[in-house]
Amino acid sequence: METFVFYIFSAFMVLSALMVISVNNPVKAAFFLVLSFFASAAIWLLLEAEFLAIILVIVYVGAVMVLFLFVVMMLDINMVQIKKGFVNNLPLAVAVAIAMFATIFFVVGGESFSQSVFTIPDRHGADYSNVAELGKVLYSDYVYSFEIAAVILLVGIIAAISLTLRRRPNTRHQKIEDQIAVKSKDRLQVVKVDAQPRKYEPAKEEQK
Amino acid sequence: MLENYLPVLIFMGVGLLVGIGMTAAGLILSPHRPDREKNSPYECGFEAFEDSRMKFDVRYYLVAILFIIFDLEIAFLFPWAVVLDSIGTFGLVAMAIFLGLLVVGFIYEWKKGALEWE
Amino acid sequence: MNFVTPDFMPAMPEIFLLTIVCAILIIDLFLKDESRGATYMLSLIALAATAILSFTGYSQETVTTFNDSFILDPMASILKVAICVVVMGVFIYAKDYLIDRNIYKGEYFILGLFGVMGMMVMVSAGNFLTVYLGLELLSLSMYAMIAMQRDSAIASEAAMKYFILGAIASGMLLYGMSMVYGVTGSLDLANLNKAVSTADRIVMSFGLVFIILGIAFKLGAVPFHMWMPDVYQGSPTSVTLYISSAPKIAAFAMMYRLLVDGLTDMHADWQMILIILSVLSMALGNIIAIAQTNLKRMFAYSTIAHVGFIVMGVLTGTQAGYGASMFYAIVYAIMSVGGFGMIALLSRAGFEADNIDDFKGLNQKSPWFAFIMMAILFSMAGVPPFLGFWAKISVLQEAVNSGLVWLAIVGVVTSVIGAFYYLRVVKVIYFDKPMDNTPIKASMDIRMALSINGVAILALGLYPTALIALCINTFS
Repeated sequence: METFVFYIFSAFMVLSALMVISVNNPVKAAFFLVLSFFASAAIWLLLEAEFLAIILVIVYVGAVMVLFLFVVMMLDINMVQIKKGFVNNLPLAVAVAIAMFATIFFVVGGESFSQSVFTIPDRHGADYSNVAELGKVLYSDYVYSFEIAAVILLVGIIAAISLTLRRRPNTRHQKIEDQIAVKSKDRLQVVKVDAQPRKYEPAKEEQK
Repeated sequence: MLENYLPVLIFMGVGLLVGIGMTAAGLILSPHRPDREKNSPYECGFEAFEDSRMKFDVRYYLVAILFIIFDLEIAFLFPWAVVLDSIGTFGLVAMAIFLGLLVVGFIYEWKKGALEWE
Repeated sequence: MNFVTPDFMPAMPEIFLLTIVCAILIIDLFLKDESRGATYMLSLIALAATAILSFTGYSQETVTTFNDSFILDPMASILKVAICVVVMGVFIYAKDYLIDRNIYKGEYFILGLFGVMGMMVMVSAGNFLTVYLGLELLSLSMYAMIAMQRDSAIASEAAMKYFILGAIASGMLLYGMSMVYGVTGSLDLANLNKAVSTADRIVMSFGLVFIILGIAFKLGAVPFHMWMPDVYQGSPTSVTLYISSAPKIAAFAMMYRLLVDGLTDMHADWQMILIILSVLSMALGNIIAIAQTNLKRMFAYSTIAHVGFIVMGVLTGTQAGYGASMFYAIVYAIMSVGGFGMIALLSRAGFEADNIDDFKGLNQKSPWFAFIMMAILFSMAGVPPFLGFWAKISVLQEAVNSGLVWLAIVGVVTSVIGAFYYLRVVKVIYFDKPMDNTPIKASMDIRMALSINGVAILALGLYPTALIALCINTFS
């Protein structure tokens, strides 16, 4: 049963990954990427890496890809132009891919990780929580790595802001706090005008 | 552990079946008589004025990146919350430092005005 | 659970640096543009204090903490001090340049300090996880620093190239690590050595190749050097200063941690690969540099050649070889920061002194700086008695001692070829007429720092024994 589920999801993952790079419409490509993320989450789940599977769905599918999809839908990219090189370079790309695959397959192969070398890890019971196991080491043994991860996120914030934030001083927008704080004398100025004998021209009016 | 996820698998299967089934039913059962006008895109009854794709304001990416960073931070909170009683004070302080670093980032982005949409 | 609270003392420099960088980040937010100098001064103080803390933490024993993910050994202490000092030089040289280009922002210093933090993590990394996290912290800071000059098209291009190639290299490194982890079941570098004898040899070699690929990319060894000339030339000189100097020390440390701390038993396997990298780097770097007219590009190719030497020391597999290599890495960083510092010195608003022709007749403008530039170039070329000569000689000596005479000969021949393009710049400085008569305008601190830098290259070259002994003793 598990093997069957594994092959189903592997097939989904490989096929959708292929579609990501071969479909013409970028929106469809993004959706296929979501599908391949889903399939790899399922495979992780089969390995009992519960937490990683959930995070892959929450962070990548839920956040990254949805934001990405918005952009891809709206952006003006001419896919026909981008795809031009695709067909020309396809033979070379396929050749490189096959060469890479052959090297990895014949050098490392399946035997290196087969059951004769590694025993199958024990299956855990229904009360096993991968999240708890991870938590126990992440915040104690690996606390150093954990804090560095926070520093990397902090650098991510700084980098994103310093690279993309551009002040626009001359945009017009409402300043609500100024509107509320306004007093009647800020808006209306009463100017005393001396009464003068009537002449040909009308009296000068000052307005603000 | 995996048996806990069997309902999820069944749900995915059912979802797939329902999705494919409905689309297929619609495709087979509904009348299908397209013509040129029906297929052409329209904007409130007019011809489309321009392409719907356009240059995107870079601030959108900024908000998106900041959202993802804080989303990732949340991801670290889940295992911590699950094991809080067994990791004790040390775990609490470790998470306090982690969040403290991101608060520094938050102060930075607030003061820089990255959260304002001019 | 049997968890003991780790000892924080060995990691004091890192903890201190992180705290003070966060403080600087907040302070910088409340500063006006006119008082940006405060950020600059605070950054220098932070680096100096971190260097002092690292220095006081020096001990001959090896201490590990945080469940072995942090190692403090003599090499780590020395390299941390070297990194902090070199980056102080970088900040000083960069200041005027940044002001002239209107990119004098607090982020430059803050990202630079976070990069230093990443390098320090790499230098004392005890397992795969910390090596990788340190590397990413450093790389992320550098990508952002390069792209910070947003209006410059070539800087954006350089950042893009560096980012994409760097991401691929990180992926390769991670892939190799996952292979090694897969067969040994250990992330700890110290445990790795015990596991090597029983693990599947083929998969180990396979993982090793990818790990070396990642290291070679970060070092910039041929054939993974393609990014260097473009990135060096495209980045603002203030950032080239940074990426060309201290990260090479960190990359050496990463190579040492992964290959020697982790996989010493596979020395026979990685020696062959490193020999190829070393020979190609020395040959290609020195030969292509001859054809360059842009000084930043020329230095990029010269860096590739220097990397060949750094790799040569490590591949001998002897303690003395590692010491020589470490000495070379530090010396290289000092020379490189000086060389790019001269470019930053001669540049002014709207003018980049990055062509060799821009150095024409420097001697008539300022004999003192002409002399310093000559010292730097001679040192890079390996002319005695400058510092670079001793670095080259100690690496070559170790290569000969471990029976790789032919490799040493290749090193000497390529260095002689390389001497040509350094001497050409010296010739331009002393015997050509200046193109214009604009006097050199620079603030006191950059003049002082460059003078110290140049004099140090000469003085340490005249009395090299102490520094060499320090580096060699590190590993024995």
